[in-house]
Amino acid sequence: MVRPRYIFAEAWSIARSSPRQTLAAITLVALALYVPGLLALLARNLGRLAASDAGDPPAVTVTLLPDADRRALAERVAKDPRVRLVRIVGSEAALDRFRRAYPDLGAALAELREAPFPPSLEISLRASAPRGTAQEIAGATRLWPGVESVEATEEFSRRFRDAVGLVRNAGLFIGAVLTAAAVLSVASAVRLALDLHRDEVGIMRLMGATEGAIRAPFWLYATVEGLIGGSIALGLLYGTYRLALWWLTRDPHPVLSVFWVGFLGLPAALLLPAFGAAAGLTGSLLSLGGGKSRRLTRIA
Amino acid sequence: MIQLYGVSKKYGPFRDALLDISFQVAAGEFIFLTGPSGAGKSTLLRLLFLEEAPTEGQILVNGRNIGVLPHSQIPHLRRTMGVVFQDFRLIARKTVFENISFVQNVLGLARAEQKRRAYHVLKRVGLHHQMNAHPDELSGGEQQRVAIARAIVNEPTLLLADEPTGNLDPVLAEEIMRLFVEINIRGTTVVVATHDLEMIRRMGKRTLTLERGRLHDPDRMRAESAPIVREAPFLPLS
Repeated sequence: MVRPRYIFAEAWSIARSSPRQTLAAITLVALALYVPGLLALLARNLGRLAASDAGDPPAVTVTLLPDADRRALAERVAKDPRVRLVRIVGSEAALDRFRRAYPDLGAALAELREAPFPPSLEISLRASAPRGTAQEIAGATRLWPGVESVEATEEFSRRFRDAVGLVRNAGLFIGAVLTAAAVLSVASAVRLALDLHRDEVGIMRLMGATEGAIRAPFWLYATVEGLIGGSIALGLLYGTYRLALWWLTRDPHPVLSVFWVGFLGLPAALLLPAFGAAAGLTGSLLSLGGGKSRRLTRIA
Repeated sequence: MIQLYGVSKKYGPFRDALLDISFQVAAGEFIFLTGPSGAGKSTLLRLLFLEEAPTEGQILVNGRNIGVLPHSQIPHLRRTMGVVFQDFRLIARKTVFENISFVQNVLGLARAEQKRRAYHVLKRVGLHHQMNAHPDELSGGEQQRVAIARAIVNEPTLLLADEPTGNLDPVLAEEIMRLFVEINIRGTTVVVATHDLEMIRRMGKRTLTLERGRLHDPDRMRAESAPIVREAPFLPLS
């Protein structure tokens, strides 16, 4: 059984003996995890937008006459099994939404004595609804009494969801590529560290050190390297998020201000250091081999 | 303790470092291995502590055929040996204490006990005041003595030393040899490779001589160099 204190001390010694390589590997891991982390953050917020009022554009928007019976019309629409949700948006709610989206126009809006937006029904469809359903419902409701106009926006909604999916998939792909790059960079750092300690490793082996005692410090060194890289990526990502939030608060944007509202959840955030550590360990295993591998024994 | 049967070591097809070496060393014995430079002394020691494998033949250490020893068992066998290398092989970034206590540290021996043992062996080689020095702060002779201290700190059953007094002045060399004898008296088998014939003569221990990779056996050599007397076959004329 190898003493843990020995492993930690040796790993620290390895890191100190090649500070540049260690720093380079940590930087590469951090960058490799930051980019997919950023895409994950974008996808998360876009996904939130897609699921929210603003981001889940209704498939059909029915603009009503001021004196129309909104509830009765909403209940009539809701009877259709293809409809998932019917949202009644009153004039005040529409005005409030507009104010949030365009805060710069606050002064002009404040002078309005009455709400300029008519009431409406926003109809969202079930995912299982066949293509063309929105047009069909729009055609039917257009003829109902109390309805001023109808607009089908199903295609936009679908495209928006596709865009969110694309960002998410791009994040996964770029993340996989960059993680592979991180693994290789850690493997290179470990190989360099090993080259620096080649003579020592030979001496240790001749003194009776087991393969575990020789490799364990390198495994630990690489794992901690990855863990630090992942933690830095997480810190950078949070910094980016806060910076963007500060910027959007100071200078609101009609679209970005709406969707840039949340950071990654704790489990997702902790995945970054975990991935870093896993990348480090994988890199060291690639470089040194496992406990029974004889790759390292060639240097004795 | 050590048995060699027909051991040969070749480097490439044309260079024979050792040829058909066979000998035995009993447990608790003290032997010298001598011969001119390039005779194969260091190679033979390297085979004994498994730094290299023989091309032919078998080597038994403590009754175990080290040629077929599982890879995982090699560290355990090495821990029963103490080795003094000709080039010291000290770890430059570690202090004298850390170099000596390396295996004990790996195995988790209490630090106080490590220090006690290190101090004890360093005192025996006269370097107890240099525990915290790094090898590059020491002279060649001091490094040699640290290497010796490292070899004996675990009280090995077999001590292999390759030119252990090569960098020491005669007085210190004598002291180190006395230390080896002391260790030997405690039961450790000692094999010392040296070309210092004067020291070998003074010590009066069994000596194996290597010449061009072959073990020089005085009895066999005498027999081979004796005049060959053969009777001529009688051939009748008719």
